[in-house]
Amino acid sequence: MTTANTHTFDAAPAIEARGLTKSYGGRTAVADLSFAVHAGRVTGFLGPNGAGKSTTMRLLLGLERPEAGEALIEGRPYAALIAPMTRVGALLDAKAFHKGRSARGHLLALARSQALPDARVDAVLDLVGLSSVARKRAGGFSLGMAQRLGIAAALLGDPRIVLLDEPVNGLDPQGILWIRTLMKQLAAEGRAVLVSSHLMNEMAVTADHLLVIGQGRLLADCPTAEFIERHTDPAVYAATPQVARPALLEEAFMRLTAGAAEYSAH
Amino acid sequence: MSTAALLRTDSAVRPTHRPGFTDLVRSEWTKFTSLRSTWWSLGVMTVVSLGFTVAATATYTHDYPHLDAATQSQFRTDTVGLILQPAAQFAQLAVCVLGVLLIASEYSTGMIRATMLAAPRRTSALLAKAATLAAAVFVLSEVVAVACFLIGSRIVRAHSVVSITDPTSLHAVLGFGAYMTLIGLVALSLGTLLRHPAAGISMVLAMQFVLAGVVGMIPGSVGKHLAGAMPSGATVIMGSGHNASNVYSPAQGLLILLGWVAVLGASALHTVKKRDV
Repeated sequence: MTTANTHTFDAAPAIEARGLTKSYGGRTAVADLSFAVHAGRVTGFLGPNGAGKSTTMRLLLGLERPEAGEALIEGRPYAALIAPMTRVGALLDAKAFHKGRSARGHLLALARSQALPDARVDAVLDLVGLSSVARKRAGGFSLGMAQRLGIAAALLGDPRIVLLDEPVNGLDPQGILWIRTLMKQLAAEGRAVLVSSHLMNEMAVTADHLLVIGQGRLLADCPTAEFIERHTDPAVYAATPQVARPALLEEAFMRLTAGAAEYSAH
Repeated sequence: MSTAALLRTDSAVRPTHRPGFTDLVRSEWTKFTSLRSTWWSLGVMTVVSLGFTVAATATYTHDYPHLDAATQSQFRTDTVGLILQPAAQFAQLAVCVLGVLLIASEYSTGMIRATMLAAPRRTSALLAKAATLAAAVFVLSEVVAVACFLIGSRIVRAHSVVSITDPTSLHAVLGFGAYMTLIGLVALSLGTLLRHPAAGISMVLAMQFVLAGVVGMIPGSVGKHLAGAMPSGATVIMGSGHNASNVYSPAQGLLILLGWVAVLGASALHTVKKRDV
């Protein structure tokens, strides 16, 4: 990387949302959402179903246009990036590939669009453990294999920023452990990792920092430990040994988002 | 599955150069050639073209003594049209399906998001797709047109002698490739606008096989002129230009088809730029 790029990297947060607003047919999906995601840690993006997590991710990646506000990647809109997949890697929905194409063909097409060497495709296939099925039609993949292919695409350009929307969905325990280790390692290498999930226990052991949204609004933006301390019943918090406190995340989350759930049973 | 070594940033993982439109075309070419449906469509286009050239020329040659004078005259003055037009009329079906699927299947599978993340300027991705489709269809359909011409002209030679080196024949052979290519771009544009494979294919087939017939029912020369101005009317570009039943010349046919591609292509580009994915 050139000095100029490194400078930009240091000066601006990896990801920044400024007043993002988006609605669909009069229903507000995201309202005046502002936050920053920094390099070197896993940032968990939490919220009940329908809270606007996926919409926010699509806004960050320029797949949708906000009605107000802006989304910046290292200080620039996604659409202004050169070879964007070498800056940002994203897993949005599993199976976002053509079912008739092989995993290798899918990744080769993406690699060539970014002027990446073909050898990188075999490297990421190996990384996610799909080398043995690389030439099979991806339409026959299980959900777990599809997620792995999505991760391979996200890491193809060796990006400094990684966005993962519900990456552990459909994965078996080994797969979940693999993703968890991978995310921590990506962060340890100095990358910014933004991961959405509604699995609290998973986030409690993975995320260093939390962004919590409800009904399209930011409810919390703080370190995971602080979030648990602030939003758990003080008596329960005090009675819980420190090593077990991550398990309180679910309760803390439920207390915070009680009024913000899109769908709830009464 | 060791993650340690592979995630490190080293020169092997950097782009080899600043990626541009050429890289998007390489990417689209990789997508195009890595799907079985592409080879099926192109194979069907080839076989159907050759089949209808043989069928049309053999039938008219065999029946020639029993044809009325006007049809006999048409046979002789527009022999290239007889050789190439029936082939194009039916073989275009495969190109229509290919053009729609190239983009609509990306919308239906979610692949479009990966495409837009790789090329966030969006219109360049669609243009790269169009360039890929156009290049592949033009080259193959020129080969097919030459083969159809050589076979067809051999079958009809008892009643009409045409040589591929005649300017009229050359224009017609080039016209076959141009027609197939531009119809492919019409289909690609409709696929982009409609996003659903079934909707796109239905629309483009209705446009190519029904629309001209419907507007042609308007009485008088208005109906004839309107029918000729539909994209399917542009098959005149692979005729001799001396067929009394045509209302437009080959050059006018080419302009008509270019106009359709311009209007539908511009709408598709505009939509891709504006629409959320």
